[in-house]
Amino acid sequence: MAEQPSLTDLARLGFVELGEAREVVASLGVDASLFAAAASPDRALSWFQRIGDSNPTLHEILHGDVVLRDSLIRVVGASDGIAEFLLRCPQALERLRVPHSLLSETEFRQVFDDCDSVDSIRRRYREELVTVAAWDLAGESATANVAAVAAALADLAAGVLDAALRLVIATTEAPDEVRDNTFLSIIGMGKAGARELNYVSDVDVIFVSDSTLFEDDHRSLELATKWARGVVAAVNEPGIEPPLWELDANLRPEGAKGALVRTLESHIAYYERWAENWEFQALLKARPMAGDAELGSRYLAAVESFVWSSSSRDGFVESVQRMRERVTANIPVSDRDNQIKLGPGGLRDVEFTVQLLQLVHGKDDETVRTRDTLTSIGRLAAGGYVGRAEAQSFADHYRSLRVLEHRVQLLGLRRTHLMPTDETMLRTVARASGIALTSVELLARWSDIKRDVRSLHERLFYRPLLATVASLSDDTLALSREQAQDRLRASGFRDPAGALRHIAALTAGLSRTSSIHRNLLPVLLHWMSEGADPDGGLAAFRNVSESLGDSPWFLRMLRDSAGAAQRLSVVLSASRFVALLIERVPDAVAWLDDDELMQPRALSEMQEEFGAIDARHDSVTEAATAVRFARRRELLRLALGAVLGLVTIEQLGVALSDLTTATLGALLKLARRDIDGIEFAVIAMGRYGGEELGFSSDADVLWVFRDSGAGDEAHKHAERIVHDVVRLAEDLRFPLEIDAGLRPEGKNGPLIRSLDAYRAYYEKWSDVWETQALIRGRAVTGDAQLLDDFEAMADSVRYATSIGDDGIREIRRIKARVENERMPHGHDPNRHTKLGRGSLSDVEWLVQLLQLKHATAVPALRTPSTLGALTAATTAGLVSAADASALRAAWLFASRIRSAITLFTGKGSDILPVNHTELDGVARILEYVPGSGAALENDYLRTTRLARQVFERLFFPA
Amino acid sequence: MDKQQEFVLRTIEERGVKFVRLWFTDVTGTLKNVALAPAEVEGAFAEGLGVDGSSIEGLTRVYEADVLLHPDPTTFQVLPWRGQVDPTARMFCDITTPDGQPAVTDPRQVLRRTLAKAADKGFTFYTHPEIEFYLFKDNNPHNIVPVDEAGYFDNVPGGTAHDFRRNAVRHLEDLGISVEFSHHEAGPGQNEIDLRYADALTTADNIQTFRTVVKEAAIEQGVYATFMPKPLVDQPGSGMHTHMSLFEGEANAFFDPSKPHQLSTVGRQFIAGILTHAPEFTAVTNQFVNSYKRLWGGGEAPPFITWGHNNTSALVRVPMYKPGKEQSVRIEYRGLDAAANPYLAYSVLLAAGLKGIDEGYELPPEAEGDIANLTSMERRALGYKPLPESLHRALHAMEESELVAETLGEQVFTYFIRNKMAEWNEYRRQVTPFELDANFRQL
Repeated sequence: MAEQPSLTDLARLGFVELGEAREVVASLGVDASLFAAAASPDRALSWFQRIGDSNPTLHEILHGDVVLRDSLIRVVGASDGIAEFLLRCPQALERLRVPHSLLSETEFRQVFDDCDSVDSIRRRYREELVTVAAWDLAGESATANVAAVAAALADLAAGVLDAALRLVIATTEAPDEVRDNTFLSIIGMGKAGARELNYVSDVDVIFVSDSTLFEDDHRSLELATKWARGVVAAVNEPGIEPPLWELDANLRPEGAKGALVRTLESHIAYYERWAENWEFQALLKARPMAGDAELGSRYLAAVESFVWSSSSRDGFVESVQRMRERVTANIPVSDRDNQIKLGPGGLRDVEFTVQLLQLVHGKDDETVRTRDTLTSIGRLAAGGYVGRAEAQSFADHYRSLRVLEHRVQLLGLRRTHLMPTDETMLRTVARASGIALTSVELLARWSDIKRDVRSLHERLFYRPLLATVASLSDDTLALSREQAQDRLRASGFRDPAGALRHIAALTAGLSRTSSIHRNLLPVLLHWMSEGADPDGGLAAFRNVSESLGDSPWFLRMLRDSAGAAQRLSVVLSASRFVALLIERVPDAVAWLDDDELMQPRALSEMQEEFGAIDARHDSVTEAATAVRFARRRELLRLALGAVLGLVTIEQLGVALSDLTTATLGALLKLARRDIDGIEFAVIAMGRYGGEELGFSSDADVLWVFRDSGAGDEAHKHAERIVHDVVRLAEDLRFPLEIDAGLRPEGKNGPLIRSLDAYRAYYEKWSDVWETQALIRGRAVTGDAQLLDDFEAMADSVRYATSIGDDGIREIRRIKARVENERMPHGHDPNRHTKLGRGSLSDVEWLVQLLQLKHATAVPALRTPSTLGALTAATTAGLVSAADASALRAAWLFASRIRSAITLFTGKGSDILPVNHTELDGVARILEYVPGSGAALENDYLRTTRLARQVFERLFFPA
Repeated sequence: MDKQQEFVLRTIEERGVKFVRLWFTDVTGTLKNVALAPAEVEGAFAEGLGVDGSSIEGLTRVYEADVLLHPDPTTFQVLPWRGQVDPTARMFCDITTPDGQPAVTDPRQVLRRTLAKAADKGFTFYTHPEIEFYLFKDNNPHNIVPVDEAGYFDNVPGGTAHDFRRNAVRHLEDLGISVEFSHHEAGPGQNEIDLRYADALTTADNIQTFRTVVKEAAIEQGVYATFMPKPLVDQPGSGMHTHMSLFEGEANAFFDPSKPHQLSTVGRQFIAGILTHAPEFTAVTNQFVNSYKRLWGGGEAPPFITWGHNNTSALVRVPMYKPGKEQSVRIEYRGLDAAANPYLAYSVLLAAGLKGIDEGYELPPEAEGDIANLTSMERRALGYKPLPESLHRALHAMEESELVAETLGEQVFTYFIRNKMAEWNEYRRQVTPFELDANFRQL
């Protein structure tokens, strides 16, 4: 009997519950130091006691058989799951003897030879699992053994499937002729297919059948399906010996809803006609696991070509991007940081990168067509597609993560990929993995691994591209130009040669800038590749970078603020409009760090700033240049907010209108420097009046003046002001088009009138369309009293009396005529976002007609805002809620598309693009997933068709 | 180049094929073809074949003139009727835009999309059409003379029709299209050939092939075949009754031994979907002015929205169940005519049926007896509503249909209505022989 250990001794041995341990040790009369080898000495001790107590003869064995005893302590100290099994089946204790090496693939099949029932197969599986775990936990280094363990687990699972299928075939009744001519092969997919299975995970399979029956192969298929169901039941269904793991056949054609078993021809036909790209990528791991081997190899031969041609198929880039999104999007936030498999820097990241590289380069190089992750990393390195050093650290990390996953699963023999949060559990995992001794150390080590894995995708995938065109100080492997271009193409660059030129320019030389670029570009390229226009993004980045040159803050920001660098890559590859502006206002890059700085600024704030420019400059020309620059800067702020989704389309309309007001106000001040004796004001009309401007809308205005001493000169003065404001506003790159076409008599009328002249005109002559236009009139800038007086005059025209039947008829007639005349030729009228079917103008005309009819009686309708008036009309019961919502949806959709078109292409257009690249870019700005151009098109056409139905019913009642 | 494509190139060499025809279908259902020399096929596989789409009905938006045809190598067949002189082969094509996106206006694409929706719910859609057509002595529309005077199932010994049917059936079998029955129909010169059950995309391809085969086989006999819905005022029109079923994996989703007529709840809801939406999709299943002459011309055509067990006067018939044949429990839509675009017609029928399943529509009571013999008051009392009476009314009903818009996609939907409205307007302008006969002398 060993000496009674002190509590300190026990603590040194790794016990946690010291007092309790001392009692048990004393009562059992064992040497406490034996338990130091266990991941959790406490658990090991407690299980040791329970198992021994369950059967008195076991005590003898455990005390006598040193080898068995030590193995037991290691296994039950790391796995409650296996301990429970041993308690249930004490005869399995024998299986704890650690073999010299694990069984081979064939041997694992043979261990099931004498199993004649589902229960016996399951029990045999668990017995073998005990041996695998014993071997695993006895090893010197868990990371060195992890590949062998994972392969053994896959082979063991294959043995189960083989045995289960044999059993099911023997016990299913069928005519001899059918049975003898029916063949079933079980194809392993995922980790089972790649022989890299976990202790407990779903085993993914596909069932393939074939028949040599003459003609009626339907009976064969029925029988094969029965067999497959039998196999699934043998693994999954409740029984005396509990089920093993989830046998999952959902990767089959048509997924869970498709037939469980298909013939080989039917599989091929499906992959030829229906399959989506990711399904080919899943086939990368396919391997015959059980059942008819000859059929299995025919299946494999048939599907192989699909896998390796997938990277040259249309939509490959999109499908890879979606695959990546699926990976990151499906994790509950609460689990994110504890996920060994799916979280950032998890196993899935490694697997994703390796598979992507295999798909890109395996097209031409058969040596990288391997299934399991570790072999594939080795082959990619040997083939020169990833650097030796990176491959080594990638493989090391993968091994460590897999060991952690294995240890976590061993704990309860449960399928989990979550790191425990409980302190003692963490400690057990740490000690069982051999990666760390304490929980703190484990978490630190794991977080290093995660960080490193996160950046490895960029290092492996993009960094070698740099080495192709630049000399890097380290020994990063250099790809050939063709290989580099293949990779760029697979990431979505349309002009890989051009992209390489930009990369070369950015990384050339010895300056600090280029050395920072060499470090940053891999990750920037990665972010750009996720945008709609990676090529444009890279070119714009080069421009910005060249104009900001060595500004220390820029380089510091790129280097230190991951958020800002990422946003820069995102906005540049999403929006040509932003790229163009940012080249001219590069300092704005600094805002990217701070959402607040990309919010629209208040009108008063802008008016103050823009107004102050006047005082700072003697020269009007210089002052105007400063105003225009300030406008570009604010325009960029709004564009950034819009691309990043920080402002809504309604906020944007108001903000752009405010910006126009501030700009016109400042220019007006400059134009009036040497003019006295008149009052002057600007009236916003149209969408400007409604505060609904888009990035490329014209600003509709009316100009108005009033003599205050200039007498006969007043009109001339006013004309000069108008002339100067228009001239000073001119910006060729980012035009501010001022349009006075909605004035009385249109293009034929005088450009400017006095307030009295307007009043006289509207009282005597006004056409109905002029009254209609005035509904959207909003006095915005100029002399305060004149602004007020104009509004009062306008109210008396637009709201004083309701429009009569003649007026209504006239408006309907004009609308019907305009629909024909103003539509540009050669365009599909349904795609015109302004004049097309159910688009902006339909909604606006309808709303304005309601205002002309009812604003006299319903004061809430007196607003220049389209949606504001529509809401008021709904509240007043003039439009049903359903109709209003159809109209509102179309109006908003058309407005958002117009804004997105300008943002993506850099120039305004009224037409929904037909070019698929543009359509895709516009769709992405509208937050569709990549590759959804056709969906956007269909959604838009549908929304506007429904709005048009409402419009026709309400505007042109039958 | 995949294995199928290599197989095609090899076969072209081995069989000495001189021309390869690329087949595709426009929105109106007309089969189009482009002939290639054998040397050009490889390029067509690799990059597709560019054609000017603006000349093809509804295929492109006006401003986007070019489309690419991608031959589907699994549909490669040597055409039998060209004989051994200049062997000619054909392949069906999928159509894409120049940047590789599936053309939204390709009818084949519309059907693929609808089938994919069914697959999402776990269903495969099988169809089996009975196609009727007339044989006339020549192709002069102003003097149409049927080739014979026989009637239903009549055996016409040694007649033209007999040889014709033998040739046509042989050609079809040579093209890998299995034929179920071929017999003489009710009208003089009228024939019917039934195609075997297949998934709806294969069936639609087969129908397109079938029409060509029939016309070619007729020419070989020196006669003319037409699928016009109603060529003769006093004789029955040519329908394309289609039997339909849904399968879930290997199981017939329409079969349930415990229910009346062995028709499952899914089957009943599918019928209810079709009946509910029939007025909306009739413009697609009956797409010509002339189609409505068949629907409302009496005889076997069913103009009232009803269903019945083995009732040949109902719009949807549930055929008699034969014990042990659960795989063949099915329903038959009798409204379809022989000139429909099969891709679009099967799309709308399937979509309507699925809608019935999704929404759990209730099936009205079944119709018994001959509906045509009821008075209009009786029909009203029983709640039997009519199908649209003309193309014009059908188009108006379609315009209001979200189901049809969603199924065809916005662009095909809009084009279809515009195109057919133009046909209606042109028709309305006509002064017909009927008016001249009735009015010219009298007024």
